[in-house]
Amino acid sequence: MKWRWLALAPVLAVLAGVPWLGDAVLIQFGINALLIATLAQSWNILGGFTGYVSFGNSAFYGLGAYGTAIAMAQWHQPFWLGLALGAVLAVVVAAVLGGPILRLRGPYFAIVTLGISAALSALFANLDIAGKNIGLILPLTRDDAMFYELSLGLLAAATVAVAWIARSRFGIALIAIRENEDAAAAVGVDATRYKLAALILAAVFTALAGGIHAYWITFIDPAGSFDTTLDVRMVIMTMFGGPGTVFGPVIGAFVLSAIYEVLANGISTAAALFFGLVILLAVIFLPKGLIDLGGGFRALGWRYFLANIERHRL
Amino acid sequence: MSETAPLFEARGLTKRFQGLVALSEVSFRLERGAIMGLIGPNGAGKSTLVSLIGGALAPDAGEIRFEGARIDHLPPFRRAHLGIGRTYQLTKPFPGLSVLDNVTLGALFGAGGGERDRAKAREQAREWLDFVGLAPQAAQHADHLGGPDRKRLEFAKVLAMRPKLLLLDEVMAGLTPAETDSAVALIRRIRDRGMTVLVIEHVVSAIRRLSDRLLVLNHGQLIAEGEPAAVLRDPRVVEAYLGRRRA
Ligand SMILES: Nc1ncnc2c1ncn2[C@@H]1O[C@H](COP(=O)(O)OP(=O)(O)OP(=O)(O)O)[C@@H](O)[C@H]1O
Ligand SMILES: [Mg+2]
Repeated sequence: MKWRWLALAPVLAVLAGVPWLGDAVLIQFGINALLIATLAQSWNILGGFTGYVSFGNSAFYGLGAYGTAIAMAQWHQPFWLGLALGAVLAVVVAAVLGGPILRLRGPYFAIVTLGISAALSALFANLDIAGKNIGLILPLTRDDAMFYELSLGLLAAATVAVAWIARSRFGIALIAIRENEDAAAAVGVDATRYKLAALILAAVFTALAGGIHAYWITFIDPAGSFDTTLDVRMVIMTMFGGPGTVFGPVIGAFVLSAIYEVLANGISTAAALFFGLVILLAVIFLPKGLIDLGGGFRALGWRYFLANIERHRL
Repeated sequence: MSETAPLFEARGLTKRFQGLVALSEVSFRLERGAIMGLIGPNGAGKSTLVSLIGGALAPDAGEIRFEGARIDHLPPFRRAHLGIGRTYQLTKPFPGLSVLDNVTLGALFGAGGGERDRAKAREQAREWLDFVGLAPQAAQHADHLGGPDRKRLEFAKVLAMRPKLLLLDEVMAGLTPAETDSAVALIRRIRDRGMTVLVIEHVVSAIRRLSDRLLVLNHGQLIAEGEPAAVLRDPRVVEAYLGRRRA
């Protein structure tokens, strides 16, 4: 499918041109959308491919934010060093926690991941170097175009990584784990190692997004950095767009970000309600995500939606 | 690893499930290139034995040796790399993947860590699908297959792993007599390619024709071992296994 990649060039060019074409509001919306899309894409590496549903990735986001903030605000180091510190912290936490928690399956894994962010939030709220529960103020840089392009670059890198995974032996091992972990092991898949690699890769991209966001908003605190509502959003956006696919999470994140932005300008309860409704309908009619809609509809027509409902019957 | 060691050896294998002793002090050897049949009534412990060898279950006591070295502490994927391939009696396909992708996974991993190249693994998978007669269904989703075809898929998947020791847990169940005949022929051809086979089967006529030697389990105990004809005449076997069918 080489043509698909060629078709991406103009899309990428248009996206990259936004800071020169759009207004300040659009650029800010763009940065947020690109970063949340990066989170969804990162979540996809473990959640989409192996089926291990994590509600703890915001921990990596927070570590990325704090790594960057501590390096810049406390140690007066350059931004890129901060990003690196954040990524290293996230990798360490992923590697240490991954061993025990990735042994748990299904809902047990999901439940355990729920606590990670809260625990780290409490930890950082008591660290002097992290500014305790007040937080840290980073040096101010008013350059939204730079933040936008950085975010776009990060999303592109995460997507290239996922595209590579989808074609690699590593990726098919992750999918085998999702489809049947015992059978995967019997066939010779080192599930422990592959799951851990997926988690660490997800942690790196998530932490980098956290670092960019921290520098952009210039102020971080425990509650805002270890934000568990982010976890729900990455899961929903990936599921909505198409888990385990290359572009699904990105499309899901963009579409839902846009819908939410439009609705949030109106009445906020209506926005939340509509958001919930969209998700409900998507789960029922599009269990494989938005990305499956084109091909599925072409093949089956309206029956596609009925076939999807059939899927839910056990 | 000595050349004189048998390919596989179990010594005093014991497995309990809560109070139930599923296997008790089971010891036997498998010589290279042999087809060993394993029979026994329902609940005798046959599948439990396969899971102990493959590593899905850990024994409570006993030793498992493969090519002379202890493997009982190794996780299943390492045993697969060493060259042990098992099928599941209740088949475990990768349900959302195509039949071809299922078998490709066997080729991509399996003995020696498997084929690194996805395209080559796919080619090998096609050959194994041909071999078991599942080529026409290659593009189907695995969870759309019917019973006997699921068994065929399980068989092709494990063959694609290129194991040295093949553990077949009732892959012939549900086949018609004609299909059973061709399965028997298939397993012989596998052996001729150099694999050692432990085959569990309820159809006594098939297992008698297929096996070089026969093991009989009853209530977790090995009650007979030897030439198929002699074992099937053994009064204890007749009573434990065949007698029950006559009743
Ligand atoms: N995971 C388990 N937990 C508890 N008991 C088990 C478990 N697996 C097997 N058993 C019990 O152990 C005994 C041996 O079971 P096993 O499946 O090995 O028998 P089998 O010889 O393969 O029988 P069949 O011919 O029906 O396949 C049975 O009594 C079974 O109920
Ligand atoms: Mg059994």
